[in-house]
Amino acid sequence: MKLAKLAPSLALLFSLSLIAQQDLAGAAEKNPQSVQVTIRSILAENKNDEFDAKLKGMEQQLKSLKYRSYRSLKDDSKSVAWQATQSFDIPGGRTLTVVPQEFQDNRIALKVRLTQGDKPVVDTTVKIPNKGNFILGGPPHEGGTLVLSISAATQ
Amino acid sequence: MELSDRELVQKCQAGEMNAFEDLVSRYHQKVFMVILGLLRNREDALEVAQETFFRAFRKINSFQGDSSFYTWIYRIAVNMSIDAQRHQKRNPLEFRESMDSVLEAQNETAKDPFADVHDKELRARLIKAINDLTPEHKAVIVLRTIEGRSYKDIGEILGCSEGTVMSRLHYARKKLQDKLSAFL
Amino acid sequence: MTNCENFRDSIGRWLDGELSLSESAEVEAHVAACAECGEARRQLESLQRALTGVLVTDAAPIEFIPFWREVQRRINSKRAWYEDISQWAREFFTAPRIAWGVPAAIVLLLAVVSLESYFPWMRFGGGRNKFASVESIDGHGRSVALLRENESKTTVIWLYQDEEGENETGEVGSKSGPTF
Repeated sequence: MKLAKLAPSLALLFSLSLIAQQDLAGAAEKNPQSVQVTIRSILAENKNDEFDAKLKGMEQQLKSLKYRSYRSLKDDSKSVAWQATQSFDIPGGRTLTVVPQEFQDNRIALKVRLTQGDKPVVDTTVKIPNKGNFILGGPPHEGGTLVLSISAATQ
Repeated sequence: MELSDRELVQKCQAGEMNAFEDLVSRYHQKVFMVILGLLRNREDALEVAQETFFRAFRKINSFQGDSSFYTWIYRIAVNMSIDAQRHQKRNPLEFRESMDSVLEAQNETAKDPFADVHDKELRARLIKAINDLTPEHKAVIVLRTIEGRSYKDIGEILGCSEGTVMSRLHYARKKLQDKLSAFL
Repeated sequence: MTNCENFRDSIGRWLDGELSLSESAEVEAHVAACAECGEARRQLESLQRALTGVLVTDAAPIEFIPFWREVQRRINSKRAWYEDISQWAREFFTAPRIAWGVPAAIVLLLAVVSLESYFPWMRFGGGRNKFASVESIDGHGRSVALLRENESKTTVIWLYQDEEGENETGEVGSKSGPTF
């Protein structure tokens, strides 16, 4: 009986604690400390019709590139502070360098440079939706084409 | 031939004011007694009783006949009384004076089987003890004592189960007995 | 709880006529034989008499005509619209409803807000602009294509090879590319 009387109060306490938890999570999101950058290196080919199971979550994105097969080469994920420079080794003697610049309207501005040895291949600044990604592809690799998925999420 | 409650309600719903007057005539005293039992103040009880019938008139078209009319009108009366009790801000001393005036009035019009001092003291303590009950416990005591309703009927009026009525009555009586054991 | 306590707890229901015939007979027999339960019965009956005296005999009759006139007056007097709303609100928003309604509303609101974490397309105000936007690009002399794939809302930056089909590593790359 006492529990029945206390139940609404307990429910209120529980829901207020949910608000507090949401609020803290929201606060963390509004003022994120750093960015988790994930680079997936993928080989796109037309030799066979295989699709690497590791890439299942990206199936729709990759199949739009119209290659017959896709194979995961390397995954790399690092936490990068705002305005800090972080390099990722990319197959084929390449390097991808990222600099998270700012966070606004739930989008992360990322400065990206792909180099082949010392030579720059492409420089770009992209605003990615938080927890989203974009594709950078085209350089030849092992008889196929290198495709990079670059994603970022605030921490 | 006297019309049944259901027939009078149907006539009210058709717009016949006389039918509603008949219903009020039939139940006004009983409703007033129940409310007085809950509020323990005659003026307040009269006010709430009149408001009860006014509300019943306003809501008469929503009365489907799932319960009897008396169950429905008592439900309105008890809910309004419980509401009024929550807003009541009378102190116990003022309450006792009000009851003394009721006792005097009652002596003129009704038999008083409790004439001696012991019984008057018992009644004063009982009134205080009733007033100390929660509105829900007071309601079951009043409906059982004044109306002699079954647990099932009381449950319908209060919108609770027979089991709840039983446990509330048991609890309320135990509380009253504990406070009045020397006098019983 | 002992058997005697069980019987004692049933005395109220027995006096109220709420027991079956067989149960009544059992209680009656026990009360007649047990001194404690007999005393409990006596006290309860004494309490009931006192309650009847207070609650029933106190209620002096009220006259019907003045009572009815007041009810009629209330029926005929026009209420302000806010009084009706106020009355409805008071009847609807009872303490138990508010006690449960407030935490329920909070939990529901949080659930809706949290859904966008699992279903990004639900994000309020963010549904329009799911694509990554390219602010600047420098292909260092190479042809670069910016493409958008609508179904997956993906932005693609595609680097095309130079006309000779070679790059710095000497590899001859595939001639395929995205064909949106």
